[in-house]
Amino acid sequence: MEDAAIVDLYWERSDQAISETEQKYGKYCNTIAYNICGTREDAEECVNDTWLSAWNQMPDKRPAVLSAFLGCITRNFALNLLKARNRHKRGGGEAALALEELSDCVPGGIDVERSVEERELERAVGRFVAGLPQRERAVFVLRYWRLVPLAEISERLGFSQSKTKSMLFRTRKRLRAYLQEEGLC
Amino acid sequence: MLDAFSLLRAMNGIHEEDVVMADKLFDSKKPARARAKRIVTLALAAALILALSAGGYALFFSMSHRVPDPEETYRIHWEDSPSGYIEWKNVGLAVTFPETEESHAIEFRPGWLPEEMASLQGDWVSRLTAERLCFEGDPNFAPAYDDMTQPMLIESFAMSQFNQGGALLLLDYTAGAVTEETWVDRNVDVLYFSASIHFDANPEHDLPERTLVQNYVLLSNPEAGWVVRIGGELDLETLLEVAHNLEIRETGEILRYEDFTDHFALFNAGAG
Repeated sequence: MEDAAIVDLYWERSDQAISETEQKYGKYCNTIAYNICGTREDAEECVNDTWLSAWNQMPDKRPAVLSAFLGCITRNFALNLLKARNRHKRGGGEAALALEELSDCVPGGIDVERSVEERELERAVGRFVAGLPQRERAVFVLRYWRLVPLAEISERLGFSQSKTKSMLFRTRKRLRAYLQEEGLC
Repeated sequence: MLDAFSLLRAMNGIHEEDVVMADKLFDSKKPARARAKRIVTLALAAALILALSAGGYALFFSMSHRVPDPEETYRIHWEDSPSGYIEWKNVGLAVTFPETEESHAIEFRPGWLPEEMASLQGDWVSRLTAERLCFEGDPNFAPAYDDMTQPMLIESFAMSQFNQGGALLLLDYTAGAVTEETWVDRNVDVLYFSASIHFDANPEHDLPERTLVQNYVLLSNPEAGWVVRIGGELDLETLLEVAHNLEIRETGEILRYEDFTDHFALFNAGAG
């Protein structure tokens, strides 16, 4: 079913909306959640929460890209769950590795006012990523938005793992410089 | 405190179109094990069909086409834009090609053209436009093309240019039925269609209601990795005749993905 038709089902408050979403994007969201949480049970919980949240947000919202909309909700639930369980310190799922990698960019020590500055940080990240060459952008998004393991990114995109690693290293270095320039880090 | 966790959460700010692009790239490429299995299956199927019929190569048709969702956004390199890109929705047709490591650059020259276009026949080129004939050409020629802005445009491309999610895009127009053929005598796969766009009457500018039609023929040779697009406002039959008689030769230059800034090209890039 086309995305627009699925969104219409949400707007019509039809139960079919959830089953169609699950059928089309269940695996996609589940993988994102699993890559962050590291357990099947947690991933399933996040995905169920995602459907409920999507149900509550539509109508009102009409997402332009349903996959990204749902993926973003799933990320948030999974990250909340991860934080609540403090699992990232113990090393669960791909998120733990991603967090270790991203610590390059944030040596720490600077307070960030929640909400306003977090939104500014999100916007800055969006602008930074949009300005990357396509190949680097794809690798960065897959690694830090979708939390895909390095080996899988390399295999799918046809790069060696060392090439993917060095590409990400260079991009993180540029991100750090960009965030410093923007006064966010 | 700005920590790695906040930064990971801030990845939510990544633009939707970038997520879609990455997803497409990732999902379009199957893991090697699955790919290897698919190749073996295809090879077996091909061997079987080739044994049964001379038309077996149709299995390996080297172009895929689809009509994207109108909201699907393409980020197209565009030097005149401040960001260097434009984001375009409403794509009427997207044609993609197999991943190609090396493409052989080509030149072509028409072996046949409608007689009003005889002045275009001559040198080997990689791009040939009939636009000038509408505006500054032979006065005996122009009336036949009075209402056209681009009767014909022939252009060559490299399949390697379109690796990693690139495509040939038809903007704004609606594509009609797409026909796929293989011309054995020319050793090319061929895809052709008509496309149209409708405009309502605009009394303010004294413009009547009208429908514009463009026709396109694509030739591709997967072994050498080249593509040729013959398109314009001439009728499809004429363009097919031009395509069938096009003389093509390789220049010896090899083109790879890295050689291109643009990984999208447009069917209806217009004149010029």
